[in-house]
Amino acid sequence: MIAAQRLDDNPCRPRHFKPPPCVAIIPDGPAKQALEACRIRLLVTGGLFALVFAVVALRVVEIVAVGGGTAESQIARFRVVTEPAPSHADILDRNGNVLAATLDSPSLYANPKQIVDATEAANRLVRVFPTLAAAEVYAKLTSGKSFVWIRRHLTPAEQYDVNQLGIPGLEFEHEERRVYPDGGLTSHVVGYTGIDNAGFAGVERGLDGVLRGRREPLELSLDLRLQYILHEELQRIIDDFTAKGGAGLIMDVNSGEILAMTSLPDFDPNRPTAPDPEHPSIPLADRMFDRVTLGVYELGSIFKIFTVAMALDCGTATVASTYDASHPIKIGRFTISDYHGKHRVLSVPEILMYSSNIGAARMAVAAGAQTQREFLARLGLLKPPKIEVSEVGAPHYPAKWREVNVMTIAFGHGISVTPLSFATAAAALVNGGILRPATLVKPPAGYEPQGRRVISTKTSEQMRRLMRLVVEHGTGTMAAAPGYVVGGKTGTADKVSGRHYAERKLLSSFVGVFPINNPKYLVLTMVDEPHPNKQSHGYATAGWTVAPATSRIIQRIAPLLGVQPVDESSPEVQRALMVESLQGKRIEAY
Amino acid sequence: MIKLSTLFWLVLVSTIGFAMFAVKYGVQSLEGELNRTKRAIIAEQHAIRADEAEWAYLTRPETLDEMNRRHLSLGPMSTKQLRTSITDVPLRVVAPAVDIPVVTVADEPPDSPQSTIPTSTIAPILPEKPTDAAQLSKAAPAKASAKPVPPRRPRSLDELIAQVAASR
Repeated sequence: MIAAQRLDDNPCRPRHFKPPPCVAIIPDGPAKQALEACRIRLLVTGGLFALVFAVVALRVVEIVAVGGGTAESQIARFRVVTEPAPSHADILDRNGNVLAATLDSPSLYANPKQIVDATEAANRLVRVFPTLAAAEVYAKLTSGKSFVWIRRHLTPAEQYDVNQLGIPGLEFEHEERRVYPDGGLTSHVVGYTGIDNAGFAGVERGLDGVLRGRREPLELSLDLRLQYILHEELQRIIDDFTAKGGAGLIMDVNSGEILAMTSLPDFDPNRPTAPDPEHPSIPLADRMFDRVTLGVYELGSIFKIFTVAMALDCGTATVASTYDASHPIKIGRFTISDYHGKHRVLSVPEILMYSSNIGAARMAVAAGAQTQREFLARLGLLKPPKIEVSEVGAPHYPAKWREVNVMTIAFGHGISVTPLSFATAAAALVNGGILRPATLVKPPAGYEPQGRRVISTKTSEQMRRLMRLVVEHGTGTMAAAPGYVVGGKTGTADKVSGRHYAERKLLSSFVGVFPINNPKYLVLTMVDEPHPNKQSHGYATAGWTVAPATSRIIQRIAPLLGVQPVDESSPEVQRALMVESLQGKRIEAY
Repeated sequence: MIKLSTLFWLVLVSTIGFAMFAVKYGVQSLEGELNRTKRAIIAEQHAIRADEAEWAYLTRPETLDEMNRRHLSLGPMSTKQLRTSITDVPLRVVAPAVDIPVVTVADEPPDSPQSTIPTSTIAPILPEKPTDAAQLSKAAPAKASAKPVPPRRPRSLDELIAQVAASR
């Protein structure tokens, strides 16, 4: 070192000569080892860092270039609020009117530990809910618990008012409530729900599985306007004739869709157990009872359409056949007689027109018990009806089909069916002979309902002509609705009380189809125990009670259904409804 | 030279870091906004459902019928009012007489324009039986004045829900 310095400092050294730098002094011993260890550590650490950065870089390359996917595919990773599905889907009518809706109905609770001024809070709460007692609310707010209900199921306006109070410690619990805006109008069809919105009756129960957890509303085949008209007209007959109850339905004969279905008396599904403020004396069970699908009735003479159709279809009778109805039939302890007997030989159209029990009984006996039973079974009258409502009534019919049963069943006694089963079968008689199950759910557009042929097209056409005769000249003249070519059949049955038929207790019913030359809709009305009044000249039979109601119903609903009125005396209509065997004969008035 | 590249990397790293955090916070706040908006939408949907139910309640056929009786007195269409064939339509409308008698709806002030309608125009749409309409219009106010409105008929869905809640 000293030598080098000395050399550098030497002014005599050659210019190009520069002494080499000093060689690092490599220490020996422990110092050398320490230096070596440092170097290795530095190297390892550097290597590790390089490795990690390489991994990160590779991962970045992978995400960006290879496996990252599109930005859209990452959306699912974000936690986003979604709307909880309502516990039950809404129910709409065929035109989209709400029949049942699930609404938010918050309940108010308090956390008394957070309430600052209980007196003030209680006073202000009572101003929002005048039905609450201030002392009670105060007691709740000072209870020292951490949770007390103040009020369940608030209306939106009440919730707003409570929020406006701005009292800390008041909270809302989210709850749901089923609301039926139309109240009693659709009570038996839609049904009602209990606590926690489980279906208890009607479609709510029958289709509970479909409605539960579903977002899109369920559309029924019901038409609210028609439902209202049917409901109003039935209520009118019940009031006019001080009847016990009534039932009715309007059906599309070509698809089986039920457009209106009502049973009276009814209840308010919003408050199913509350008494009816207008008729507090009617027991709840009676109001809850669905007379259309659950009630089974001996419907009486309207059953004769099945007897005639059976005889015509199986060939034991033609439209020109005649049966002796001049004397009552005595069989066992029964006597079968006519209400307004003609006391002569009657032809098939006359039997239906004048509603002759004797004629119908003889016609059924000619066909035989086996044929009758099979025919009724084919029409689905010996089984409970199939419908989306859970309450269905099983028919009552004799286990042993004796001759007396054949005779009484021919005119609708000794067999009880639901009005719904009857309407379904009657629709098959007029629509060309295809039985289609009744449905309350609106089928999708273009859906072709499955059906089963039960009678021939020819028999169906004959039945249309015969049913037109009943309204034109027979027992159902008051059901005529000018322009809408109504055809139908009246039925007045004596009700069974105990083991006997009660003379004064009637069940009047009418099945009407319009326009009968090209059947579209069927209207079935039934009234339970009507009492005669002055306007009906002392009658409570179907011709005076439900037949005029059917006429009014058809005149009101036909424009809504888009049925064009026709000139009933026009040659086309006359030709379509002509009964050949009666041509040129004078038709006796009923 | 070495110092320049160090500076470059430092700037790059801090820029990228800053950008990353900016994006992250941007996404978070957007997510929050999205959730807020969704919640608002849900609240709005619930309100719409309530309004729909209320609308259904206020347009029940029963209510519409009552309002029709009170204000319009429209009757069911009769077949006579329908002309289905072009030949049924008369070719020329006969000019109405000069002094048109005027029908005034009783409940409304006579100067309101809707209440004065020339008879010739409303004649065809009057119900078939005028006695029915007369009875109905008579019956309606009598019923209203006879007794206070029973709790059965709440005037809005709010009241209905309140009644339902009270009954449970």
